Amino acid sequence: MTTQDDSAIIEVRDLVKVYGDETRAVDGISFGVAPGELFGFLGPNGAGKTTTIRILATLLQPTEGTARVAGFDVTTHPGEVRKRLGLAQQAPALDAFSTGRETLELAGILQRMPLAEVRRRADELLELMGLTSVGKKLTGTYSGGMKRRIDLASALMHSPPVLILDEPTEGLDPQSRTALWEELERINQAGTSMLLTTHYMEEADRLCSRLAIIDNGRIVVDGSPGDLKRSVGADTVILRLASTNGDLDSQRATVRRLLADMVAADAVSPHPEGVSLSVPNASEAVPAMLRRLDGERVPITGLQMSQPSLDSVFLKYTGRHIREEAADQPISMGWQ
Amino acid sequence: MTAIAYETYHLGLRTTRRFLRVPANVFSILFFPLIQLLVFSQLYEDIVQLPGFGGQTSYLAYLAPGQIAFTAFMAVAWSGFGLLVEIRGGYTDKLRVSPIHRWSILASEMVPLFFQAAAMAAIILVICVVLGTTIVTGIPGALLILVLAGLFGLALSGASFIPALLTKSEQATSTFSLLLFPLMFASTAFVPEELMPDWMQVVNQWNPISYVIEAIRALMVTGYDWNAIGAAFGSMALVGVILQAATLWAFNRVAR
Repeated sequence: MTTQDDSAIIEVRDLVKVYGDETRAVDGISFGVAPGELFGFLGPNGAGKTTTIRILATLLQPTEGTARVAGFDVTTHPGEVRKRLGLAQQAPALDAFSTGRETLELAGILQRMPLAEVRRRADELLELMGLTSVGKKLTGTYSGGMKRRIDLASALMHSPPVLILDEPTEGLDPQSRTALWEELERINQAGTSMLLTTHYMEEADRLCSRLAIIDNGRIVVDGSPGDLKRSVGADTVILRLASTNGDLDSQRATVRRLLADMVAADAVSPHPEGVSLSVPNASEAVPAMLRRLDGERVPITGLQMSQPSLDSVFLKYTGRHIREEAADQPISMGWQ
Repeated sequence: MTAIAYETYHLGLRTTRRFLRVPANVFSILFFPLIQLLVFSQLYEDIVQLPGFGGQTSYLAYLAPGQIAFTAFMAVAWSGFGLLVEIRGGYTDKLRVSPIHRWSILASEMVPLFFQAAAMAAIILVICVVLGTTIVTGIPGALLILVLAGLFGLALSGASFIPALLTKSEQATSTFSLLLFPLMFASTAFVPEELMPDWMQVVNQWNPISYVIEAIRALMVTGYDWNAIGAAFGSMALVGVILQAATLWAFNRVAR
């Protein structure tokens, strides 16, 4: 379940964090992130995602276990980790009385970038994030989406090989969320490895090449979103059929007969406009089905495919819906 | 060491901007010293005729050193707030994730307070001079007064950082600052020691604010009284070392 090879950009083994007396926030987590990968942590609030991230970002000491980021142990070489890491926290952490440009420049200066390079990179990131026009305005005046983007930009100033994002789109409106997703995909495609946490199913589904579902401080399952969804059950394929003279039933029977060697009889059920098929790995199976049905002149007018949702994955492995946990959690404050 | 200086300089510019970009900061620091200077100097105009004022003819001139010291105190009385807000908002964590020494974070909050306290005291000093107070030691003496005010602010700032770091509560921090106000009234800011009741004279003997006030008074009225100036530096060093050591301990406690 984990990639334990030396090439992993993030490598976590048997990580445990116990708070105070007996709260096991992280209870033996192991996973690896390969270079260039966009790895997701999916789980409800309080599952241990943020604690894990804070350990990886050198903000918190693990109780047990080891974590390495970009080849360095977070406990023994935090300084080396910090040079190679960008962190965007759950809430954008900004100085309201600094301008956007000052925010970026300070981040670069603290990373010991040469001054000319600091200016060039700040210009570049303001442009990329669409913030050039507000670069001289105080970040306290920014909208929620702008705050996210300038916070993300400041984490990217030193072009770190690893970017860690804690709930990157929490509290954003749908447009800003989509825009940020596109931005994150672009950064990832440019070569930055990413670890992000989320409790939004669609976010994990859209962004992550691989994800781990975490609950009560443990990873309950990990894999690609597609694999995880397939593990829950088959995809659903709906074929819409033209019903010229009310002969929908005979057409359904034709479909059932033609696809008998591809789809089990009990996996075909009537649908008001045609048939509904339950097919494992539908995206690979459907082309062959269509070729055969088309060859036999079955009048197909529409096709709809759907996968089981990640929510059903979460339900299968934890016995709960993710939303039940996500709502109404108190916000934790302070450093402990 | 050079790394800490480099980081403190750049982070210190930021904390200075944070102070200057809220004009209300300057106003709230200057308001009380100014009111005391303008109102008390008229309200108690004739108090200088009492014995103990050493033949001083203007109560304004007597009040000035105390209000300069008080201004430095006001400049740092809520200095823990900025750090507190940034710890809460995650900004301090963001700084801790960059490859810098964690002491630079604290130093960048404190070092600017020297300049902040000195600059605010300078405004009150200039107002005093405009109102007719004289400084017998001239410009060099005035500069030494500002150094004293700056160091006084720096030494005392721990009194705001410690409750901020330990309680992480704005209410507790501001209440603690208020508790320090009576020290001002139990000092030689308003009346000479001879006119105080006996118990207050004892408090005054141990009150670091009085040592700073008397050094400033010497520089304004009598000249370079190195005993008074030395006592002021000594008491500030003592207060500064105790409070800032405690601040460092409290900071390490939260920032590891």
